[in-house]
Amino acid sequence: MAGSGMRSTLETSVAMDRTAIAQRRTEVLVLEHQTKLARYLRRMVGDAEVALDLTQDVFLSAYRTLQADPARELRVGWLYRAATNAAISFMRRRKILHVLPLDRDLDRNAWRVDEHGAESVDLQAALARLPVEQTAALLMTSYAGYSSSEAAQILGTSADAVRQRVCRAMKTLRHVMNEDSNS
Amino acid sequence: MKVASNCATAEILAGAIALGEAGDEQRHAYREHLSTCRHCVMAIGGEREIERVISIVAQARDQERWQPDLRRLRARVPTPGYAWKWGAGLAAVAAVFVVAIFATQRHTPVVVHSVATSDLGAVTAFSTQTFPQREHRAESLAFTPAEAARSTITFEVKLDARGEPVRCTVVKHAGRASLDAAVCDAVMRAH
Repeated sequence: MAGSGMRSTLETSVAMDRTAIAQRRTEVLVLEHQTKLARYLRRMVGDAEVALDLTQDVFLSAYRTLQADPARELRVGWLYRAATNAAISFMRRRKILHVLPLDRDLDRNAWRVDEHGAESVDLQAALARLPVEQTAALLMTSYAGYSSSEAAQILGTSADAVRQRVCRAMKTLRHVMNEDSNS
Repeated sequence: MKVASNCATAEILAGAIALGEAGDEQRHAYREHLSTCRHCVMAIGGEREIERVISIVAQARDQERWQPDLRRLRARVPTPGYAWKWGAGLAAVAAVFVVAIFATQRHTPVVVHSVATSDLGAVTAFSTQTFPQREHRAESLAFTPAEAARSTITFEVKLDARGEPVRCTVVKHAGRASLDAAVCDAVMRAH
């Protein structure tokens, strides 16, 4: 009897609920911000594959937040904050575990495949030398376009601290550029 | 000490200049500091130098050509057991079916099971995952579109002599082929 075809019927009744709303709102966020956010994360971590993973994590986190509270207003700043935190966590883990190559030349070669501008590759070489907080401040402002006050809110610090980090990041950028022009 | 404090202030001013947030007064204060601090002249440079250096970031952004291939977005599964948790859950559901069928063999074996929307979303997400490209990673994460928020699926599971499912056939469609396939796929995988 067990060998004969057995039939079971599953009726799935699905009501439109908070999950559907969260899904729809997350899809809108993904469509609007995925490219910029992925690029920002790629600059932060210096690795395209990791950036894609982290981008996915950020949107998954947004989805869960909206699922818990569908009425909550999630602005793009929320996404950048989550992205920055994810990148910082990753960078700290990487520093501890040394799971990825940190050799600057290797990074440069990888980036040359994707970028046609020397500035793009130079910037990444400089970013690889910065403390992650400085990288975040520089990218959040000059790359993503936030003011120092907005970046400060996202990063949980003061506007002056953001400006100071930007300045210190510029020092390194300048140093790397001079180093390259002399070599 | 005083010099260091002045230099710290100069860094903040230089940052404001770089970000286009400095007014005339701040620019003047920065120039005054540079006139007395060789260290900052060498390390940061004047206003024009600041603007030159910071413009590299904007140039790099404008020249960027990397396009993230988001169809290949790989998700880090929230918890290591995420997929298997759903697998176990679905296996339990399937086990309930089998038990119910054995218990009601003389009757038409109809099991009505209510599944919440969140479960259905997870079923869909689960079925889109391809293991293992990387440990604890999924190939993609699918979201159930809102138009499929209300649907009914009826499917038939054919079991072999050991009670293992050998075929899943959708009898009544959900209105979307991908969702039909996702549910069937998940039930087959659950074993």
